[in-house]
Amino acid sequence: MSAELIVITILAGVIVGAMSAFFGVGGGLLMVPFMVLALGETQHVAEGTSLLVIVPTAVAGVIAHNKRGFVDFRLAAWLVVGGVVGAVLGARLALGTAGPLLRTMFGVLVVVVGVRFVYQGLKARPSIDPG
Amino acid sequence: MVPLLVWLCDQGQHQAHATSLAAIIAIAGVAAIVFAQDGSVDVRVGATLAVGALVGAPLGARLLAKTDAGRVRIAFGVLQVIVGLVLVLQ
Repeated sequence: MSAELIVITILAGVIVGAMSAFFGVGGGLLMVPFMVLALGETQHVAEGTSLLVIVPTAVAGVIAHNKRGFVDFRLAAWLVVGGVVGAVLGARLALGTAGPLLRTMFGVLVVVVGVRFVYQGLKARPSIDPG
Repeated sequence: MVPLLVWLCDQGQHQAHATSLAAIIAIAGVAAIVFAQDGSVDVRVGATLAVGALVGAPLGARLLAKTDAGRVRIAFGVLQVIVGLVLVLQ
């Protein structure tokens, strides 16, 4: 990676971290398109790398939340039991899907999430009082 | 996961968000291992993105919380639609 690309990638990470924290969305929705479109990674590598990035950022989030007593670790452990099975199946399914098809499916998901955000944003805006 | 925890487990919104985040550590970690076994993880890019994300999360959340949430949501949504269409059409 060139120095410019490292700076751009760190800045992209800052934006991903900020948007994820604000909206409560997974960073993958932002990270995967960035890696595919700006860095030229394949869809598979972008998805795998995004999952790797989620681990330290989620650890930092949990440490912060735990200080305020918000984390129920026993309940989290139960979620992990089912979640891990789904994660392995989902990852295998993604890796078995051709890159271009996987990218198209991911793109459709991003569009759907985007439309939902626009709708929620329009709904949240206060109506203009005609006076 | 968050609505499920609020609805079924009687957790508050903050607690549900925090608990689901704790579960995500293991879930994303296991999925990342499956991708890594296939050679589909770029550790250097991942580490660089993580540095930015760890700095950005607290700073950005504070900054964005002071802005018009509705407007930011619309801008973010429009950006997502454009990015998604580029991914589909490319």
